[in-house]
Amino acid sequence: MLRFVARRTLSALLILLVISALTFALFYVAPRDPARAACGKLCTPQTLALVRHNLGIDDPLPVQYWHWLTALFVGRDYTGLGRCPAPCLGYSFTNHEPVLGLITDRFPTTLSLSLGSAVVFVLFGVGTGMVAAVRQGRALDKIASSASLVGSSLQIYIVGVVAMYYLSDQWRLLPRPSDAVGFTQDPAAWFKGLLLPWLVLALIFTANYTRMTRSQLVETLAEDYVRTARAKGLGRRTVFFRYAWRGAMGPIVTILGLDLGYLLGGAIITEETFGLHGIGALSIKAVRDNDLPLLLGVVLVAATAIVVANIVVDAVYAVIDPRVRLA
Amino acid sequence: MSISRRNFVIAGSVAAAGGSLVLSACSSGGGGAQGGSAASASYSKVTVGTAKDSTGPAPEVTGARKGGTLHALGPDDFSHLDPQRIYFAWNSTVANLYVRCLTGYRIAPNGSMKLVGDLATDTGTMTDGGRTWTFTLKDGLKWEDGSELTVDDVRHGIERGFASFTTEGATYVQTWLTGSTDFRSLYKGPYGGKHLDSVVTDTAKKTITFQLKTARPDLNWALAMHSYGAVPVAHDSKEKYDKDPVSCGPYRIKQHSVDKSMTLVRNTHWDPTTDPIRTAYPDSVVFEFGPEALQATDRLIADSGTDQYAVMAYSGVPAERIQKVIGTPDLQKRTVNGLLTGLYYYAINCRRIKDVKVRQALNHAWPLEQIRSIYGGPSAGDYATTVLSPDIAGRVKFDVYGKLKNPRGDTAKARSLLKAAGKLGQKIVYTYPQGGNDAYDKTKVVIVNALKEAGFDPVVKPVESTSYYDQVGQIDNTFDVMWYGWSPDWPAAYTLIQPLFDGATIADNAPNVSQLNVGWVNTAIKKDAGIADTVKQEAAWAALDKEIMAKEAPIIPETYQRRYYLYGTKVGGAQFDPLFSAFLIYKL
Repeated sequence: MLRFVARRTLSALLILLVISALTFALFYVAPRDPARAACGKLCTPQTLALVRHNLGIDDPLPVQYWHWLTALFVGRDYTGLGRCPAPCLGYSFTNHEPVLGLITDRFPTTLSLSLGSAVVFVLFGVGTGMVAAVRQGRALDKIASSASLVGSSLQIYIVGVVAMYYLSDQWRLLPRPSDAVGFTQDPAAWFKGLLLPWLVLALIFTANYTRMTRSQLVETLAEDYVRTARAKGLGRRTVFFRYAWRGAMGPIVTILGLDLGYLLGGAIITEETFGLHGIGALSIKAVRDNDLPLLLGVVLVAATAIVVANIVVDAVYAVIDPRVRLA
Repeated sequence: MSISRRNFVIAGSVAAAGGSLVLSACSSGGGGAQGGSAASASYSKVTVGTAKDSTGPAPEVTGARKGGTLHALGPDDFSHLDPQRIYFAWNSTVANLYVRCLTGYRIAPNGSMKLVGDLATDTGTMTDGGRTWTFTLKDGLKWEDGSELTVDDVRHGIERGFASFTTEGATYVQTWLTGSTDFRSLYKGPYGGKHLDSVVTDTAKKTITFQLKTARPDLNWALAMHSYGAVPVAHDSKEKYDKDPVSCGPYRIKQHSVDKSMTLVRNTHWDPTTDPIRTAYPDSVVFEFGPEALQATDRLIADSGTDQYAVMAYSGVPAERIQKVIGTPDLQKRTVNGLLTGLYYYAINCRRIKDVKVRQALNHAWPLEQIRSIYGGPSAGDYATTVLSPDIAGRVKFDVYGKLKNPRGDTAKARSLLKAAGKLGQKIVYTYPQGGNDAYDKTKVVIVNALKEAGFDPVVKPVESTSYYDQVGQIDNTFDVMWYGWSPDWPAAYTLIQPLFDGATIADNAPNVSQLNVGWVNTAIKKDAGIADTVKQEAAWAALDKEIMAKEAPIIPETYQRRYYLYGTKVGGAQFDPLFSAFLIYKL
């Protein structure tokens, strides 16, 4: 296990390095100049050169990248703004806040949004899938299957806006989405503020889990080893949970891991739709403002979330499925 | 994305509408009836106030009550709080609450504006034909810690504009004081212990004198920009001041969570009797950053909880909701609207399209009506025919290309002009920012149709919106017609005509995107800027406006855009800010 973790961590770091270098290079491929935003309306060449110097983008690209990379490990001094201790992701070009601070400030929202909705969609999705598999071919199965088909074809930016308009504004059944209050400050207010985004996000994700659970269970329930277990005279419950369910869970855990990784990297559309201040909204801002340090920061977070999720999935897979061994 | 969102992006972008200081006037509810018949809107003239106009307190708003919390919903946080780094209108809406300059604009309930002394006792005394200006500070001016605001603090604000970190702010006064656009090579800011020789203070008499290299009869207008706000010498934290500015206005910043929220509370050391501009009724103002225009509109329509005490901050009612809002009496009652301060236009690249007849033909052919109907019809704005927007002092309306009579465009006339020039089939490369607002993808179609009908060969080359201004700002770009926008920095023609058409300003990233460089225009700009008599000067600018459009046709004016804002049922005294195109927060 230890060898597995060490090896995967090493390759993860390599992936992150490549991703950051690529992001860096791609940023400068586009004919845009981040210095323009800080050069005022009547921008002169002299002022533009000064801004480039202030932002540290007057150095050659490899030097700039090297500065960024070394700052991650040893920190960096910025004139006027002071020391940025390691791990330093630099200062944002637009609001001159430390990038790491901006990300850690936004992360609780993204974490709450991801984990909260995951709880809802796993419970509902897997639950409904199980019922549908057991009741295969009957009315309940058909209803669940077609409902999930509808659910998976919905889009956040439509359902979110419609749900907000009716549930919050018109009928006032649910409070308006808000991330103003953190979990540690007031759990009740935190819960209320995120309830609608959780439900809407879950509505869309649930469908996948229902369909996935159902098809996996239907498949494993027909497997030889399940039939053998039944033939040995084991109880229905034991057969279902200990044999079929466990066997079916592998692919679902995989999808869940990837979904969580994706959500933790920032649910851009969801956050924009509900006006939440998470990593996703931050990445949009970084792109729109040509804010390279911020962009590198959010890309790194998103990539890390996905890479880590993959490692965890692989580890969990081994626990669930005895046929898989980590090496 | 909505039109209003685009407007924000423009106002927030470097290349176009910046610290828009203009005076359109349309007070609460006005001009909003039946689809916002914009043509009926009245524009009021801006005037220069007397010393009496400059004394506080500001006139009471009838029926206003003190206290409470005002909420403001906007999509984005303020990019800068340090006055010397403030240029864009969005930042100025909040700077109004804690920054004060030597001069400022007093806005009457009918939207008319007066330039008055804010920190100064009046709008200054000009001698030497506009080369020397003297201002005297009022008594009783204090910073939020109770210390006295001195003439040295005012000078400090001017000198900080030369520092290496204040690159975002306005540069007019620095240029006039040093006589060079490369003013930072001549003076490095106040941190080396050296003061500008050209700004002299007298602490005992409380006077500050500016000695300019060129005659600038409009210095007192330029000094009203927040870029020239006072900063306390004792509490200047340089780069860090942007995070923690010191207030001399009615409110001070109590809390700021980047991109999330900002709370301002009363500055107890602000004395209303020194302030002719701000009434400041609410006890606190809370900005919430995040809600896009559509969300903010829906929240204000729903009008629940604290949203009853809320206003839309800077992003207006989007095209998707505008008909609902102005068509529902209960909602329409809760709106204010007004024209944006600047001009939206299509710059014709004069370096590539050298034949004036072709440029005139483009003006004739351009389908303004079709374009505006894509933006949302009359509620989206008024057709533009002049470079100067309706609110500019001395602006005279003209219509050289008959666009008001025939806004659909006169393609036959355009064709005959092209034919006469022997340019039938002239290739026109048209560009617009793509990805920020899908309205341009639609207007592209009507533009191409009109150009084809007029005998042009249009080629569309859109540019990705985040790098749009960088690309069209290059001198050697390969575009013929470029969508663009510009707003003036104070309500005088100079800040439109000079940056857009002075051949001397042509450079990469400079606003003269048309690259017009004609001797007689350059000379006229220089001459008009130095006319000391305001009335004569205004007349000269207005004449130049018409002459440029008729003889050179370097741009195709599009619209003076209109913006609507909603406010909650418990908000009183709502008024459109003709300066910064937003709510006058300090009057609510």
